[in-house]
Amino acid sequence: MSYLDVLSESKDLVTPGMSACQGCGGELILRKVLQISGENTIIGIPPGCMAGAGVVGWNFSNGLKIPVHIPLLDNTASLLSGVTAMYQKMGREDVNIIGLAGDGATADCGFQSLSAAAERGEHMLYVCYDNEGYMNTGFQRSSTTFKGSQTSTTPVGKVKKGKKENRKNIPMIMAMHGAAYVATASPGHMKDMVEKIEKGIAASKHGFAYLHIISPCPTGWVSKPECGIDLAKKAVKSNYFPLFEVEEGVWRRTVPNPKPIPVTDFIAGLRKFKHLGEDELAEIQEYVDKNNELLEKLTREVS
Amino acid sequence: MRKYISPIGKEGLYVLDTASWRTYRPVMDKEACIECGACMSFCPVNSIYRDQEKKYYISYDYCKGCGICANECPKDAITMMLEGEGENE
Amino acid sequence: MSKIQALTGNYSASYGAALCKPDVIAAYPITPQSSVVEKLAQFSADGEISASMVEVESEHSAMSVVQGAVMAGGRAFTATSAQGLALMYEPYFRMSTLRLPMVMALATREMTSPETVWSGQQDAVSVRDAGWMQVFVENNQEILDMIIQGYKIAEDPNILLPLNVCYDGFYLSHLSERVEIPEQAEVDAFLPPYKSRHAILDPKEPMAVDPLTPGNILIEYRKSHLEAMQEALAKIEEVNKEFADQFGRNYGGAIDTYCMDDAEIAILTIGSMTGTGREAVDEARKKGIKVGLIKVRFLRPFPVERIREALKGVKAWASIDRSVVFGWNSGPVFMETRAAVGNADSTCNFSAIGGLGGADISLDDITGCIETLDKLKTEPGKKDTLWFSKPVE
Repeated sequence: MSYLDVLSESKDLVTPGMSACQGCGGELILRKVLQISGENTIIGIPPGCMAGAGVVGWNFSNGLKIPVHIPLLDNTASLLSGVTAMYQKMGREDVNIIGLAGDGATADCGFQSLSAAAERGEHMLYVCYDNEGYMNTGFQRSSTTFKGSQTSTTPVGKVKKGKKENRKNIPMIMAMHGAAYVATASPGHMKDMVEKIEKGIAASKHGFAYLHIISPCPTGWVSKPECGIDLAKKAVKSNYFPLFEVEEGVWRRTVPNPKPIPVTDFIAGLRKFKHLGEDELAEIQEYVDKNNELLEKLTREVS
Repeated sequence: MRKYISPIGKEGLYVLDTASWRTYRPVMDKEACIECGACMSFCPVNSIYRDQEKKYYISYDYCKGCGICANECPKDAITMMLEGEGENE
Repeated sequence: MSKIQALTGNYSASYGAALCKPDVIAAYPITPQSSVVEKLAQFSADGEISASMVEVESEHSAMSVVQGAVMAGGRAFTATSAQGLALMYEPYFRMSTLRLPMVMALATREMTSPETVWSGQQDAVSVRDAGWMQVFVENNQEILDMIIQGYKIAEDPNILLPLNVCYDGFYLSHLSERVEIPEQAEVDAFLPPYKSRHAILDPKEPMAVDPLTPGNILIEYRKSHLEAMQEALAKIEEVNKEFADQFGRNYGGAIDTYCMDDAEIAILTIGSMTGTGREAVDEARKKGIKVGLIKVRFLRPFPVERIREALKGVKAWASIDRSVVFGWNSGPVFMETRAAVGNADSTCNFSAIGGLGGADISLDDITGCIETLDKLKTEPGKKDTLWFSKPVE
């Protein structure tokens, strides 16, 4: 089945009308993940843009057509560990147990429970939609926010110019946990993303699967809503967000990028980087190149 | 009377009228469409469908008018038109 | 036939939990609770229990795992102390407000600072307004018995609230006592299996658990939670009686009383100090002091009516607390009892505080408390707090 067939023939399990912003990457990712996992799924969506957009429901209604819970910001992986333990005990391993959390709930306060669940090999798929900050509460900095980004907690002023530190490389850290399946994905490369969601669900039947998906955020990044997919593609083509997967310890670049575009081509469309001068942009290019070199080393043997 | 035990939501689906957000609407030129499926796969709201004949069409019920479909169409077969202008499908 | 064994309080908690056949157990080691989880891990390693053991990295995750398990329809167990309880507060509060029944053993311990690992009830009393039921027990048999009773109370369809079995760290957790371990079949007959229905994550019955809820609806959930707490007061008595009929051990329900029939003065105790309290009462009675004892077992729900009834006609009373209420210059049992009796200023009463951070509450301490009460019994009103303290010179 081609990915277009998959997307065309599967049921959308999310409310048709949710209050995610125009052009939201998170909404796109959530819909696709659930289209692929299907109705036999339990999902945990902690506080963040998606939960804030109403998919866990309001009053007495549900925002999804499947069972959903809003865990705490910091316990998605541990709460779902209890759910999956129970489902295995009941002999109902067919039920997909999925967590879908933003980068704050994943990389910051939720990281301890995430790391532990991966170390224990809990049977679940954990999807991080990474929009590089706490967007639901007004774009505060997270540990995946890129260096130089202007956020509401790393503002640009007379002496400071956005976030000072490089992002934490969560997908690589998760891969080093020895999880059953780890991959990065981009909605701009939909075929690749669909395949990785399928693989992630399959891997969640015997271990911990982790997907880290870049999620363009027109509101926080201050970009045009129609440009989200274009940005997601450029993030990959510039090696700002390279696409790879790690399966049973084998690293593979799923979308090879022999002729990367300059990272400035990606950054140009984003006002959050607008204040950066040549030196700062060069530093970002250097970080991206180094990160890519590391990935090349890890994937060289097999690609 | 409703019994208040745990906060749960199972009395129907929570649905917002997101179509009302729209300023511009995507309009598809079916002649120009090459049926590549980009619009459907990239639509964040899943408002673009493929029918039995593998033809694509846009539903305006919840489309927020973000313009991704128009921006991603390789044949420029989708145009964003100001609400109220142009022809309705 | 039940078997009799010398067990520490922690092992007694482990046996109690095992007999309740939990589906999922998740706990993180902390002094003085650690041997509860160690023993359960051994049971699991030996194939004696079928529970899934989730070896978590923190108490926050321990409570989160059991929360997920109960939401998936299971019965769950965990145990902790002090800092662990503080760390798990976030999902702890949510367990009760989502109305998810379970039992957690709490080997009570003083809260840091000053840095301490020893006994005290400050951990438990600090969370007495987190919506859980809390029972404080006196000995190791009562730990085991209340874990079994605890599930029965917690899982009652009219209650649906989690319950803490609180026992003094070290004093009980590490003390070996004679414990009667009932037969599995007896426990099975007493405690039916549990399956959550009201809030469940199951694709067969899709629902959102905890949608965003505005204040006008939230207040209805709180009202219902408070009502369930009040209903639990009757359930506690009912389950106590049922347990006594079946197992032959009667704990008196939400409170237990000793020599209260003709008492002019009374002491209120909580936890393991009660044994010393009874002895002090016996000694004082020999001297002609008409004193009785009220063992406060449940702090949540607080047995207002039973305490009011027990203190009827009493001229002077004091509570002995192993914890404090910051801002009231008293212990929590004192504060709660003053609120409960309604006529506090027509009697003589004071708060006694001792046993903090592992300090002993001695027979002399309680005898002194009784003698002070006897002296002051004709002077109604609230008296100064009595501290069982022996400061370093």
